[in-house]
Amino acid sequence: MRQAILQGLEQAYTNLVHMIADFLPRFLVMLIIIVLGLLVAFLLKYILRGVLSLTKLDRVSEEAGASRILRSAHLPSMTVLLSRSVFWVTWLGFILVGLSVLGVAGLQGQISRLLQFLPEVFVGILILFLGLMTANFLSRAALLAGVNSGHPSPKILSWSIRFIIWILAISMTLEELGVARQTVISAFSIIFGALMLGLAIAFGLGGQDLARKSLERYLGGTKKEKDKEPLPL
Amino acid sequence: MSSALVEDTFLADDLLRQLMSVGEVDLLVGIISCSDTQTNSHALHAIEGSFQRHFTRQRAVIVNVCGGDKNESDAAAATGLTNMAEKNARFGQPVALRTIQRVTADFSVPPTPGTALRTILASADLLRARACAVVSPGTNLTPGWIANLLTPVYREKFDFVAPLYTRHKFQGLLARNLLYPMSRAVFGCKIRELYSDEWGFSGRLAALCLNQDVWHEEPIQTRPEAWMAISAISSDLRCCQTYLGQKMQSTATSSTDIVEVFRQAVGNLFWLMESRQAAWLEGERSEPAETFGPEHDLTAEPIDLNRHRIFEMFRSGVTELEPMLSSILDPETHAEIKNIVSLEESEFRFRSDLWVRTLYDFAASYHHAVISRDHLVQALAPLYRGMTFSFLVEHSQSSPDELEAVSESLCVEFERQKPYLTEKWKANVEVKS
Repeated sequence: MRQAILQGLEQAYTNLVHMIADFLPRFLVMLIIIVLGLLVAFLLKYILRGVLSLTKLDRVSEEAGASRILRSAHLPSMTVLLSRSVFWVTWLGFILVGLSVLGVAGLQGQISRLLQFLPEVFVGILILFLGLMTANFLSRAALLAGVNSGHPSPKILSWSIRFIIWILAISMTLEELGVARQTVISAFSIIFGALMLGLAIAFGLGGQDLARKSLERYLGGTKKEKDKEPLPL
Repeated sequence: MSSALVEDTFLADDLLRQLMSVGEVDLLVGIISCSDTQTNSHALHAIEGSFQRHFTRQRAVIVNVCGGDKNESDAAAATGLTNMAEKNARFGQPVALRTIQRVTADFSVPPTPGTALRTILASADLLRARACAVVSPGTNLTPGWIANLLTPVYREKFDFVAPLYTRHKFQGLLARNLLYPMSRAVFGCKIRELYSDEWGFSGRLAALCLNQDVWHEEPIQTRPEAWMAISAISSDLRCCQTYLGQKMQSTATSSTDIVEVFRQAVGNLFWLMESRQAAWLEGERSEPAETFGPEHDLTAEPIDLNRHRIFEMFRSGVTELEPMLSSILDPETHAEIKNIVSLEESEFRFRSDLWVRTLYDFAASYHHAVISRDHLVQALAPLYRGMTFSFLVEHSQSSPDELEAVSESLCVEFERQKPYLTEKWKANVEVKS
């Protein structure tokens, strides 16, 4: 009996030693991969920051209105944001590869799922960002066109455009991420349809005169209100 | 014509064949045809008339750049040529001793002004023309206008000739209050009509402009004339102005047209400031340009304008665009503009020093690209309306001489505040992060 217990303990000790002997090199490999990843990520970050500074991306981003969106979301400039993103993506990739080296049962599947999901997250962020940028640019263009043509409520026009593009961008992002796909599509259709119906009813009932005047003007019935200004050139 | 030039050119084979059959010329007039055949025909008559009466011994060619029906334009031109020569001979007037050559550059679609000008410059370069002019068929061209544009180049060796017109005193306020004083202060040359439909230039300037790598730029495609003048000024070529006559056009226009003109002309001026900054940042005083004929001639007949609406568009524009203006203007300038917006229509005045500071802030913000440059230029339109309203109210009874004095003092204010522009321009605007 005692002999059996001692043998069991010895076996357990041997197994533990084997496990440690087996695990330690893999752990060291993981650490090496993570440290190497950190170096590579830092290197890529600084190379990208240098390249983006040379291409004056911040100026382009400022001009396109992207910087304003970033500022309002308390985010850094486009160059810093992109270089930081590359750093984290690269390092995260190395960390996941390092973890997979450990060969922990069950972790492998989770890691591979996470790796498969990463591109979708990126595409989602990209869609959202481009959507916000487009909304900003087009709403500003609409505001200027409204103001300069003497439109009675240019801000409403501008905000409507911004809102529609935001809804579209958010729906597309959620669909890309696969979050409640059916619900998102249905919600988008309902919101967009309701918005259009609301506008149609508002224009038809609330703005009967405006609608009539617009149609008459479009069809050449009556002339637009006199807005003559001196010839500039 | 040198074969190297022919090989290097971008011109179409058909146009090249026509140019090669012409040989070298003394005078070249380029016309950018419009869709109306009758208007084109009138302009071609005027050009031919000018050659018949004023340049009888010179070798002359008309380059007709069109994007419509070539046969119609040709037929109109041919009829004009025959009739003009016959008429002149019948009435004992001078008739050109040489055949007036005519070539047509036919595009499948109407070319942009930039493409049309490039074709005319390339033709002038290939034909080694000494004096050239570009005219627009839309204006009331006369043979005298063409002669006035060509003579300073051909006989006085000038390189760029800008036109001067008789105008209504409230016509061309963008040129009077913005384009002329600002270009004069920045580029140092007193050319009043940098943005016009007619101008003259030498073969030397044509070659210089043709070799610049700017033809793909949007501002050059839409309004290339000011760039030609600035190219001449910055290359120390000789520039002058010549009086043409009364420009027959409507004195009033709609808001939509104003914004389009604004985008083209003001956008072009800001682009010129950006692309030529090395030339003007160190410059000091403006140099006078020699003028042939009266320097200014104003009429004052009643004009149908909606002043109240101009003021309302200024007021609503400044209010609605407040966030945009705050990112463009200096805080002090913006605060002053917000102050004057709250004034009653009867008390409102846009002071010239504030106007100059506003424009310089816009120019510097254009340089630093604080927002989309096209949007920035459009955001200036409501402020221009404020200045226009102020001008209309203040000078409703002013005489031409008084207006001229006001214009001169505005130019001086632009020159006085130029260091402010330079400082703002050179400021290292950090992109906030």
